[in-house]
Amino acid sequence: MDIHQRIIKFVTTSNWFLFVVGTLLGFINTPMPFAMGILTGSLLVTLNFHLLRHTLYKAMATASGKPARSILGVVLIKYYIRFAISGIVIFALIKGNIVDPLGLIMGLSVVVVSIMAATTLELTRLIFKEAV
Amino acid sequence: MDFFTACVWAAGVAIGIAAFGCGIGQGMGVNGAVQGIARNPESSGKVTVTLLIGLAMIESLCIYALVVALILIYAHPQAAEFAKIVAGH
Repeated sequence: MDIHQRIIKFVTTSNWFLFVVGTLLGFINTPMPFAMGILTGSLLVTLNFHLLRHTLYKAMATASGKPARSILGVVLIKYYIRFAISGIVIFALIKGNIVDPLGLIMGLSVVVVSIMAATTLELTRLIFKEAV
Repeated sequence: MDFFTACVWAAGVAIGIAAFGCGIGQGMGVNGAVQGIARNPESSGKVTVTLLIGLAMIESLCIYALVVALILIYAHPQAAEFAKIVAGH
């Protein structure tokens, strides 16, 4: 398995892992709104990441022969649709005081943390490989 | 301009700039990726994975901006204190 496939597999698995662990720790250790923030935030970004992956693979698989503008349009329109839906959900959560904003921000950071972890892991692997 | 009006203005400007910047960033990323794949179709898998990671990072920035904007409007930490001050005057 090459580095790219390894990173994507790690990020996908790590997203779900952080979602489950973060939510469980949140419900055990923190007040209800904070835990709900972690749950909804991490679920939202994890689903968003899956949809983004699906959109990109679909667009890039049929990329050859198509003008760049049409692919760009499809990806950007889907991005704005996803963003609008996320916006409505986050708006409802914050407006209704269902979640604590700090918990929500923590939950929304799941994908970023996964990507940082994957990059650090690969970098460490590279450094140790060169050292040996 | 009173405190609450300023908050709404700040939230609107913040999310506007963030969405605009993220849209441009994503557009440039996808444009580069598509051109790369067009020149070298064998690199499609690698380019797509790198693009996916990049787009996910850009998108999360915009979502952060959205959350901060909504916090400014609906869950400002000092809103109650300012409301008391306004009511006192």
